Amino acid sequence: MPLLAVRDLSVTIGPVQPLDRLSFTIDRGEILAVVGESGSGKSLTAMAVMGLLPLIGGKASATELSFAGQDLRSLRDRDWRALRGRRMALITQNPMTSLDPIIPVGRQIDQVSILHLGFDAPRARARSIELMEQLRIPEASAVHGQYPHQLSGGMKQRIVIAMALAADPELIVADEPTTALDVTIQAQIIQIMVEAARARGLALMLITHDMGVVAQAADRVAVLYAGRLVEADRVGPIFGQPRHPYTRDLIACIPREGQAPGTLRGIPGSVPGVFNYPAGCRFHPRCREAQGLCAAEVPPLRQEGPRAVACHFPNGAAHG
Amino acid sequence: MAANRSVLARTLLTPRGGIAAGFLAVTVACALLSPWIAPYAYDLQNLSQANREPSALHWLGTDEFGRDLLSRIIWGARTSLAVGVTSIAASVICGMTLGAAAGYFGGAFDRAVTAVVDLTWSFPEILIALIFVAIIGPGLNSTAIAIAIGYLAQFTRLTRAQVMALKTETYVEATISLGAGHLYVLFRRILPNALTPVVVAGMLATGDAIILEATLGFFGLGAQPPTPSWGAMMSSGTAQIFIAPWIIIFPGLAIAATVIAINQFGDALIDALDIRGRLREG
Amino acid sequence: MADNPLVAIRDLSRRFASRPGLFARPRIQHAVADVTLDLARGEVVGVVGESGCGKSTLARLVLRLIEPTAGRVIFDGIDIGSLDAGGLRRLRRRMQMVFQDPYSAIDPRQTIGEAVSEPFRIQQIRRTRAEAEAEIERLLTLVGLPVGMARNHPHQLSGGQKQRAGIARALALNPDFLVLDEPTASLDMSIQAQIITVLEDLRRELGLTYLFISHDLGLVRYFCDRVVVMYLGRVVEILPTARAAPRHPYTRALLESTFEPNPARRRDVARLGGEIPSAFNLPPGCAFAARCTRASAECRTTRPELGPEAVACHHPL
Repeated sequence: MPLLAVRDLSVTIGPVQPLDRLSFTIDRGEILAVVGESGSGKSLTAMAVMGLLPLIGGKASATELSFAGQDLRSLRDRDWRALRGRRMALITQNPMTSLDPIIPVGRQIDQVSILHLGFDAPRARARSIELMEQLRIPEASAVHGQYPHQLSGGMKQRIVIAMALAADPELIVADEPTTALDVTIQAQIIQIMVEAARARGLALMLITHDMGVVAQAADRVAVLYAGRLVEADRVGPIFGQPRHPYTRDLIACIPREGQAPGTLRGIPGSVPGVFNYPAGCRFHPRCREAQGLCAAEVPPLRQEGPRAVACHFPNGAAHG
Repeated sequence: MAANRSVLARTLLTPRGGIAAGFLAVTVACALLSPWIAPYAYDLQNLSQANREPSALHWLGTDEFGRDLLSRIIWGARTSLAVGVTSIAASVICGMTLGAAAGYFGGAFDRAVTAVVDLTWSFPEILIALIFVAIIGPGLNSTAIAIAIGYLAQFTRLTRAQVMALKTETYVEATISLGAGHLYVLFRRILPNALTPVVVAGMLATGDAIILEATLGFFGLGAQPPTPSWGAMMSSGTAQIFIAPWIIIFPGLAIAATVIAINQFGDALIDALDIRGRLREG
Repeated sequence: MADNPLVAIRDLSRRFASRPGLFARPRIQHAVADVTLDLARGEVVGVVGESGCGKSTLARLVLRLIEPTAGRVIFDGIDIGSLDAGGLRRLRRRMQMVFQDPYSAIDPRQTIGEAVSEPFRIQQIRRTRAEAEAEIERLLTLVGLPVGMARNHPHQLSGGQKQRAGIARALALNPDFLVLDEPTASLDMSIQAQIITVLEDLRRELGLTYLFISHDLGLVRYFCDRVVVMYLGRVVEILPTARAAPRHPYTRALLESTFEPNPARRRDVARLGGEIPSAFNLPPGCAFAARCTRASAECRTTRPELGPEAVACHHPL
């Protein structure tokens, strides 16, 4: 049984429906990358899973939304609070918004194990320093007493990860955890998160717009476009034989080592806003392979074993 | 300009913004049209009619010299608004100039301006105004000058904070990289973006300035007789407070209503512009 | 050194002093130290390094948006440090900048059309209304924006569209040279690829010379002809061709930090440990020694020079 199971998850905010019947699962010890451009609905998916939609006046509906066998749809506020931070943790893009500027960073990690695991202060401190060392924070006991403004962006993000790990969660949702960081620091942070997930057997939902990060870290991939799932598969086939044109385009956005100049392809245009979703396949106005059918009919999500794709002509089948 | 119009529309469409604006429009009309709409001359004395209560002949009653109170309040609006608006306008213009120069160029000039501003900031406006009236003598002109000086620190400080924040915006650097000089950057990039919060703060200060003018008038340091001023009218009313309380009540109501209307309108404007946070930077 | 380079940078340095407390001794930060570099006409030179390596300061020094502490920048034979305000303003027609943050690079009060035509106003180039409109149309078309967007305000545009508008404004005066300061760092990967493609096309059509600042060595190796690697204010390596194998351990570490879109080639990035040391209090030897697996005693005492092989390392790969 998967740790997190989501079936036909839709999110509505007032009159609009930015997320449309999304399905995916994450097993324990598995890293699922949720990938797409800004505006594809990645962050809303994270908020729905964490029960945070009421913050922005959103409502989730699903035929299944369960975590470790527990139905999340009927959960009350008090039960959500027991779950969040304790059994599922969120890491956001900007570490500054997750850290309190006037409390030493180590104490902020301590507070998590005091609150959720009932540790006393010395034991919490020892555990925090152990976690910080696992995340390769040099001189962890000195950093423990420092304030957020004394630390670099990469170091702050490690503190946020330590806070997420402190309660020994089963699921971590990381929403663009490295977007604001340098590539060298990004590489370290991704590596640290992958190692932590593997070592603890925890499930990681990694939200990103960067196919490089996906290729580096993920076991399975869910590709989102304009609020819909367009393709899902294991990471190998996603990069080896991507079937949705959008997946292919996302991969082609990153120059490969040795790629000839002038051969990089961006994706023309941008993700439509929620008020301007086109009819049919929502990607068809930007798709190089779109046919008449694509503008007329929504392609159904076809599931074949571990693979799922929502395209009328996967692999350019129209030509073959 | 379309954006500005919609801000004004959003302000006027809120209940408090609309009511306040309506009241202010009446006050301004009284001030501008006082010679034509006041039923009597403001200095027409009739001692046989002294201290009369409100009646069909004198809607708000008469004062100790038998002058029509309604006429004097209408004329008083002219004094209060003229002093409030001109003093704050002068203060805003001087404060913006000082604050912009200090914030943009920095250095020794900035340190000097900041030191003086911090010093005057620690005194209440009324004390500064009193000191200046004492130096230059009583009267409406010196009241206006004293009020302008009293509020100078506030606008200098607010402008300086805005300019310092805007100076680091990428679009300022971009303008410099296109070859623009300091004056171009200051007048086309920075000041237009700094203007809104300073003007709104000025609008709110106008309400305070009207109270300050009335206070100075109450102490006999502002408008001199027989010029009608709400503060001076209240002052003369104190002697008659038990036999003719309307002499002190109606000018007091005029002051209170005008100031409340200005503050409510300013508040509605702040909400429509969404700049509450930026005003605190000063 | 190329013959008759468009831009010649000579021993360029910039120090910043900051006072940590009222009575503390000022601390000196060498943001850029002794950078010497030529840009040939039509060349794209990439400058790559982590935050705080001085690459953005270098970009601003080259355009004299900030004054150097020492050294010179010679643009097409003209020492830009010797120019008065008027001379510098005229020279700015030929050298322009595209900024990292498209979200704040255009005044929110301006329309896109006003922003794109402002260079003419600043440079006091008189045009009729029809000429100005034709010019706006040409520039927006050049960067792939619909002409009707001239009437929009920046907040109505997406990040990628804003960056296109920023490029259009930089191109208004027909410059020869553009400094691109991380123009894609705050954009989605899909939009980054669009912007890079636009820049490639413009270079080909207009014969532009670029100084491209980035923290992404993978992107720089794709886009640039030569690559300058900076660490803590100094050039540590110049790759003669973008695809040349790195010889400095730091360049290799940077390369290993870029993720290719290929799960079969996952990297182990454990080797680049540690953080960049503070730019105040630099160690006497090689600044990278503390993070370097190849560092020897010599590296901690003697700073390696860049030398004729263009690699500042005692133990190059």
